[in-house]
Amino acid sequence: MDNIDEISKKILYLIANFNVKQSEIIEIYKKNDFNIAKTLNSETFKNKSAPLQLGNDKILDFDNMIAYLGKNNINVLNISGKFYPKLLREIFYPPPVLFFKGNQILKSDYLLAIVGTRKCSAYGKDVARYISRQLSKIGITIVSGMASGIDYWAQKAALEEKGSSIGILGCGIDIIYPPENKDLYSQLMDTGSLLTEFFPGTPPLKSNFPARNRIISGMSMGVVVIEAGIKSGALITGEFALNQNREVFAIPGSIFNSESQGCHKLIKNGAKLVENIDDILEEISQYYKNDISCDFQNESPADNFKQNEKIDILVKTLNEKQKIVFDCLGCLPKSIEKIVFETKFKVNDVLQIISELEIKELVKEKKYNAFIRL
Amino acid sequence: MFFELNSFALVGIEAITISVEAHISNGLPSFTIVGLPDKAINESRQRVKAAIINSGYNFPMKKIIINLSPADLKKEGALYDLPIAIAILSVSSQIKIRHKDKCCFIGELSLDGNLNSVRGIISMAEEASRIGKKYFFMPYSNAEQASLIKNIKIIPCKSLKDIIQLCSSNENLSVQYFPIYSTKIESICNDLDFCDIRGQLRSKRAIEIAASGMHNLMLIGPPGAGKTMLSKRIISILPKLSLNESIEVTKIYSLHKQNNSNLIRQRPFRNPHHTITRISLVGGGSIPRPGEISLAHRGVLFLDEFSLFPRTLIEDLRQPLENKDITISRNNISYKFPCSFMLIVATNPCICGYLGDERKKCTCRTGEIRKYWNSISGPIMDRIDMKVDVPRLEDGDFINSGFTESSGTITKRVEECREIQKERYENTNINYNAEVSSRIIYSWVDKNNELKKLIPELTKKYNLSARAIASLIKVSRTIADIEKSKDIKLSYFMEALQYRINTGLENIINN
Repeated sequence: MDNIDEISKKILYLIANFNVKQSEIIEIYKKNDFNIAKTLNSETFKNKSAPLQLGNDKILDFDNMIAYLGKNNINVLNISGKFYPKLLREIFYPPPVLFFKGNQILKSDYLLAIVGTRKCSAYGKDVARYISRQLSKIGITIVSGMASGIDYWAQKAALEEKGSSIGILGCGIDIIYPPENKDLYSQLMDTGSLLTEFFPGTPPLKSNFPARNRIISGMSMGVVVIEAGIKSGALITGEFALNQNREVFAIPGSIFNSESQGCHKLIKNGAKLVENIDDILEEISQYYKNDISCDFQNESPADNFKQNEKIDILVKTLNEKQKIVFDCLGCLPKSIEKIVFETKFKVNDVLQIISELEIKELVKEKKYNAFIRL
Repeated sequence: MFFELNSFALVGIEAITISVEAHISNGLPSFTIVGLPDKAINESRQRVKAAIINSGYNFPMKKIIINLSPADLKKEGALYDLPIAIAILSVSSQIKIRHKDKCCFIGELSLDGNLNSVRGIISMAEEASRIGKKYFFMPYSNAEQASLIKNIKIIPCKSLKDIIQLCSSNENLSVQYFPIYSTKIESICNDLDFCDIRGQLRSKRAIEIAASGMHNLMLIGPPGAGKTMLSKRIISILPKLSLNESIEVTKIYSLHKQNNSNLIRQRPFRNPHHTITRISLVGGGSIPRPGEISLAHRGVLFLDEFSLFPRTLIEDLRQPLENKDITISRNNISYKFPCSFMLIVATNPCICGYLGDERKKCTCRTGEIRKYWNSISGPIMDRIDMKVDVPRLEDGDFINSGFTESSGTITKRVEECREIQKERYENTNINYNAEVSSRIIYSWVDKNNELKKLIPELTKKYNLSARAIASLIKVSRTIADIEKSKDIKLSYFMEALQYRINTGLENIINN
């Protein structure tokens, strides 16, 4: 399989052999009215010399790299190619080449990013799975950073729903980072896709991640931020999205949860508050015509309402003691001590009832010794 | 001229009988001890000489040879001063011992002829009673411990003179024996009490259950939540030591010089620091001594800041936890120390300590948290039945926590629960619910239709391993015993579910 076309090869050649910066290529590309042939023959590059230190034992020079890419089945998408993400071309400094690995070449135009904290709460995890599943059902591809936490759950849910998902890496495409997400990496390779602007063998440097975040937001119609701390990568992605003129969605959380503060900050600054996927679809309707909404009618109105009905039915089956404990709980976490104090039950009874309610999926231990109603 | 009498040597915590032989002959005056004595025994020549002279007798100016037999067993300690002195006085015909074969002697002499206490007296008294001795002459301060052993008359003496008077006079020896000091074990008042602890209801209940069924327990919580405070109070709710247990524990403790007079009446609570060496944890040394795990026998071994203990050290606990004893081998002899203890470990949920805390943010990366938990030994985690979160209290909990039970009330329940277990496991080698094998566990489940139906469902929902389920059932059995129920009701199982590792934490560890 010829996985690298001539233009990509030329760009790689420029970068590898003449130490041309990727941003330089883009600048000249813009100057030349987006004509790639003209760009590549530009005079500017001819004065350059000094080959780039690729810093990798396996890939010493350009020829070596081409061989390596071929051997490992890594595709290269260049900015003028037809598989290059459409929206990504519009951002300020799009990467001239992207390395790609996976099963399906990018054909979906409907990409939406879901990002969030690595240390997600049970609530965050549930939201990530819920939103991702709903969006996947109607044919939207989930883009995310393949990190642990929200990213992981969102991408996992998308793949479970037989949807597709794209993982954007902050390192070379042949490096699995974080290593504990190996399962997601291989799943994406089988049924989704992996994408990065970094050369094979690039380690996951700290500075790579903001750059990766600009691609996540850049190729998507919008970014859904689920749980983000006040100084987090997810928030950076949100800010990129604003600069790139993308939609920004944020999921509200508890005001006591520091991991929701970032989302609330976004909402205050004008991001759209999301309760169900209708809120998302409303905003991104400009990107799609009819092909999404027709499917969608059957799946919405959001499961939330069904969920509520289900809970109502379940609550009716509770016995007296269970009901007292259930009524005592709310959306804010409560400790066992508080429940005991309020219900005047014995500790062992409360513990046992909590377990019963947990099994019925009416109650959840949110954090240590802090229970909430679902 | 030849004279022989019996004494004892310590091998680990057991004593074996040795004989002290004396031979006196004409020749250049000399005093030799043979039979692999250590430095302390060799020095006893000076003590014995001075003590004999200061007690008003003559030290024979002849050639004296003392043999400690069996001659190939290494002997240590100053405990042969008394038998050597008696042997020399007898062999030089200065005194005559009545009932020589029924007597045995042990004790360290000071230069003025007074007796000082020795280590390991209980084991020796036990051995003396086993081989059929009648009278055991020993230092006064050792007598209380030794008096616990039946079928032997303990004769406490203050000095060499006393002993010679007693055993050479015609008085009836049996009048003299030491009144058994106390076989009744009183509970010792302790200022650590559970009523000091506000809130933490779940942890307290978990500790009660763990104490009742001797389940190993792990406490996970942020700094300052009260893990150490809770653990230290466990001792206040454990049942009193029975007489036999008390003897077992005292035996181990009497190997330490600092404890050779008292009877241990309180369950031991050992709290070694994580810088502890391997030998001081499991026992050992050139002449093996019991380590912390044996010193915690019949009590609690509490490892605070569990994650800081070196991995190899923790792995050393695997066998002792399973076998309830530890064997330490030296080239010609092995020493066995019992170590049936309840393991309690406390640890933070992550490196910074605040994972899952409501008020303070955890600053660890997920990889770090996973690494932290991976560093804690899996096999040991498997042997810990109960894992409980100890959260920091919220402001209101200090006041609102309602009434707090005192340790006394809890102890009563624990004791009752242990009685039930004793009855159930009569004629088996099981003592507590925690020790039950999986075969018995599954026989319980088979009888219980409710459980049988629920378990597969829960396994799927919570992703439980077979061992986790076994632990759950063991804990439910203990809860049932506390509630004095014959069957494991579903509700007990439900409660036991709360003593697993926090689901939120589990999510992070397993992604």
